[in-house]
Amino acid sequence: MSTPLVLEDLEVSLTRDDGGRQGRPLLSSVSLSVDPGEFVALVGSSGSGKTLTAMSCLRLLPPQLEITVGSIRLDGLDLVRATEPELNTVRGGRLGMLFQQPKRMFNPNRTIGHHLREPLRLHGGLRGPKARAKAVELLEEVGFSDPVRGFRAYPHQLSGGMAQRAMTALALAGQPEMLLADEPTSALDKVLERQVLQLLDRERRERGLGILYITHNLASVAAYADRVLVMNAGSIVEAGPAHELLIRPKTAYARDLLAAAQLAPESRRRPSSAERDVLVLDGVGKRFGPRRKPGGAALDDVSLSLRHGEILGVLGQSGSGKSTLAKAIVGLDAASAGTITRQLDGAEAQRPTAVQLVFQEPHSAFDPRMTLRASLRAPLLPRRGLTPAQREERIAAALAEVELDAGLLDKRPGQCSGGQLQRATIARALLLEPQVLICDEATSALDALTQRTILNLLLRLQRERNLSLIVISHDMDVVRYMCDRVAVLLEGRVVEVAETRDFFAAPRHPHSRSLVAASIPCRADGLWTMLDARNHAARAGLERQAAEG
Amino acid sequence: MLQFITKRTATLLAAVAVSSFAVFLIPYVTPGDPVRKIIRSRVAGDAVDESAVRGLAESLGLNDPLAAQYLRWLGDFFTGDMGLSFVSRTPVAEQVLPALTVTLSLVAMSLALAAAVALPLGIISGLRPGSMADKAITAVTQAFIAMPEYWVAPVLVLVFALKLSVLPTAGWNDLSSAVLPALTLALRPISFFTSAVRAGIIDAAGADHVAAARARGLSHAQSILRHVIPNGLVPLSTLFAVWFAGLLGGSVIVEVIFAVPGMGRLLFDSVINSDIPLAQGGVVVVVALAVGVTTLADFVHRFLSPTVGDSLA
Repeated sequence: MSTPLVLEDLEVSLTRDDGGRQGRPLLSSVSLSVDPGEFVALVGSSGSGKTLTAMSCLRLLPPQLEITVGSIRLDGLDLVRATEPELNTVRGGRLGMLFQQPKRMFNPNRTIGHHLREPLRLHGGLRGPKARAKAVELLEEVGFSDPVRGFRAYPHQLSGGMAQRAMTALALAGQPEMLLADEPTSALDKVLERQVLQLLDRERRERGLGILYITHNLASVAAYADRVLVMNAGSIVEAGPAHELLIRPKTAYARDLLAAAQLAPESRRRPSSAERDVLVLDGVGKRFGPRRKPGGAALDDVSLSLRHGEILGVLGQSGSGKSTLAKAIVGLDAASAGTITRQLDGAEAQRPTAVQLVFQEPHSAFDPRMTLRASLRAPLLPRRGLTPAQREERIAAALAEVELDAGLLDKRPGQCSGGQLQRATIARALLLEPQVLICDEATSALDALTQRTILNLLLRLQRERNLSLIVISHDMDVVRYMCDRVAVLLEGRVVEVAETRDFFAAPRHPHSRSLVAASIPCRADGLWTMLDARNHAARAGLERQAAEG
Repeated sequence: MLQFITKRTATLLAAVAVSSFAVFLIPYVTPGDPVRKIIRSRVAGDAVDESAVRGLAESLGLNDPLAAQYLRWLGDFFTGDMGLSFVSRTPVAEQVLPALTVTLSLVAMSLALAAAVALPLGIISGLRPGSMADKAITAVTQAFIAMPEYWVAPVLVLVFALKLSVLPTAGWNDLSSAVLPALTLALRPISFFTSAVRAGIIDAAGADHVAAARARGLSHAQSILRHVIPNGLVPLSTLFAVWFAGLLGGSVIVEVIFAVPGMGRLLFDSVINSDIPLAQGGVVVVVALAVGVTTLADFVHRFLSPTVGDSLA
C-alpha cells in the first residue's frame, strides 16, 4: 500500500502583490523521490532551499511564496493540486513532519498529551480514553521512562532531548508513510542526536517509514542515509548512494561541503605546559535561587586554569553548566562561590573588558534596531581618550580583521546572515583588545561551511594576537579541531581535564567515554568505520529489543 | 504551585498592611489636630475648650503609642467597625458597603461590555493585521482613548436621554439607569482591550507551533481556534484585573455626572467634606479589593500560562 513520495520539476517563486512572479525562483527544477523504507538525506548550506522543499511537500509555504511549476505525488494524489481538505488529511497523516527546535514547535500553554490527541483524533479517529492510551503508548515507544507523566507534562518541563522525542511521537501519531525530518537533531548534543536518529531508523526498519532527512550534519548522513541529495541555491546539484557520494563527490560544491565537515586538526604550535596561567578558577560554584535542592547547583566546585596562548575546550551536554561558566568568567553573572583570578599584563589588563565573550546566537547578540556601526561603537564610547575618528578607525580595523566588508556597517542585524553576524560579534569582542576570548557555542547555530570559516578565523586571530581562548561547545568535532586541552563538564562539575589527543584516544571518565563514543568520526575517509557504526547500532538495537521482549 | 500561592498571598497581605498603615496615618499628617477637628465639627464657634481636647484625646486613646493605635484601628476595621462619619455621624461601614455594591455592579457591567466588544474586534483585527477591517477597528477604538468621560457622558445623555428619551439621565434605580454610566466607563477599556487582544493574537499567530499544528493536519480554522485564540487572550487576564482595580475608585467622574451613589462619589465627597473616617474606610476597602483582584488575576494567568510560575520559582 505504501508508495513513494515523488517531486517532479518543482519550482517555487516569490509572488508579487499583483500575482506576477518576482525575481529568480527560490527552488527550480527540484526532482526527488523517497521510497518506503528508504532513508534519504538532503544536505546543503543554509539558505539552499532544503526546508523550503519540505514545506512545499506539506503545502505550508509562507503566503508570499508559491509553487509555480511541478508536481508532488504521494499515492496518486498530486499535492500541488490537492484541495485544502485533502491536504489536511495528508499533513500529519500520511506525510509527517519533524521540526528542528522542538520546544518552539509546542504550544507552551498545552500539555504534551493535548498535542498528541490532535493527530490521533484527526487521522486515527481516536478520542477520550482510547486516544489517551494510544498517546501514552507512543510516548513509551519513543523512550519516555514515565510516559504517563510525559503525557501530563507541559513542553517547558521537558529537556531538549525529551522534547524532541515527544515531537517524534507527535509526528508518528498519524501513522505516516513518509516523514520529513527538518534538522531534527541540530539543537541536540551528540548523545541525544544519536538516540533520536536510532529511533527514526527503527521506524524505517520496522514499519517501512520513508524518511527525507534534512541536515547539516554529514556524519549522521554517513551513518544512516541510503541516498544523499545535495542542494545548492534552490536546485539539487548532485544525488547518489551515500557511500559513493560521500567518498567521491562529483561536483565542486559537494566537495566543499564535505571538506568543511571534515574538521581535521590543524598543525598548530601547542603552547608548552610551562606557559604562565592567565586565568585561574578555584572552586567556582553557582546556584540559582536559595531554594534549590543540594546538588542542584549549576556549577559546583569548578577549578580550571587557562594558559597563555592556549585554546581550552569545555565540553558538556545541554544543561551541564557551560554557559553559566562562561558568564561567570566574564563577570556577566557573578559566581556564588570560589574565586576567578586574572593574571594578565599590558595596559588593558586591569580593565574588566580584558576577557571578552563571543555569544552563541549571533542574531540575538545584537540590538535589532541598531545598525552594526552603532552596535560596534557602543563598547568604545566609555573610552574617553578616543576621538570619533579614532573610534571609526578601530571599528574599521576590527572589521578588516574578521574579513567583513565595511558596507555592512550600515545594515541592521535582520539584513545580515548568521555568518556575517557571528563575524561581527567577534569584531565587537576584539574592539576592546581582549587577552582572553570565551566562545560560547560560537558556531553551533551555523551551517558546516560557515562554521569552518569562523573556526579558522578564530584560529588565525588566536595566532596573530596571541590570545588565550576558551571554546565552549557540545560539538566534539569543533573541540577536536580547535583545542589544546579539553575539560568535560557534567552537571556543573569538571569530571575530566586532558590534552585533546589523549582525551579522544582514551577518555577516562565514563561520561567522557560516552561523549567520545557518540561522536561518530566526521571524516569521509572513515566512512566504512561509520557504516560499521551503523550496523553496530542496528545490532545493539535488535539485541536490546530481544533482551526486553 | 503551592509555593506560588503562598508567595502571592504573602505579597497581597503585605500590600494591604502597608497601604492600610498609610491610610491610618492620614489624620496625623494632614494639617490640624484631629481632636480639634472633631470638636469643631460639633460645636459652633471658634473657641475650643482645652480640657475638652485633652479629655477627648484620652478617651479616644490618642495618647497611646502609634503602633498600638494602628493595631486597634486595624482590628476594629476588619471586625466591621470602621468608625463614625464626621459628617453624618452614622457608622462608616453602613455607607461604604452600599456604595461598594453599586460600584461593583457598575464596574462589572462596563468591563463585561468592554470585553464583549473588544474580544471580537481584537480577534478580527489580529487575524488580519493591515486589512481594511483592522485599520477601521484600530482607528475607532484608538479614538476612544482621546474621549474624556466628562465629554462622552454629556453627549450620551444628550442623545439617548434627551433626544431619544429612551434612557434616564441620571440616578441609580433599575438596569436602564445603569446603561449610560456603564457605556461611558467602557469606552476606554474597549480601546485598551482591543489593542491588547490584537497584539496577543498577532503574536500567537506568528508562533512556530501554529505552523507545526498545521503540519499535524489541523485546518486553518482549527489551528486558530485551538492554538491562536486561547494563547492570544492570555495577556488579557492581567489587563482586565488592572482595569477592574482602577475603576473601583476611579469611576468618580462618571458617578458624579450620572448621580450614581458609588465608591468614587463617596470618596470624592469624603475628601471635600474632610470626612476622615469615611475616606479611610473607603480607601482601605478599595485597596484591599484591588489588590485581591490583581492577585486573583495572577492565579488565573498562572493557570492559563503554565510557564509563568515555573520561571519565577
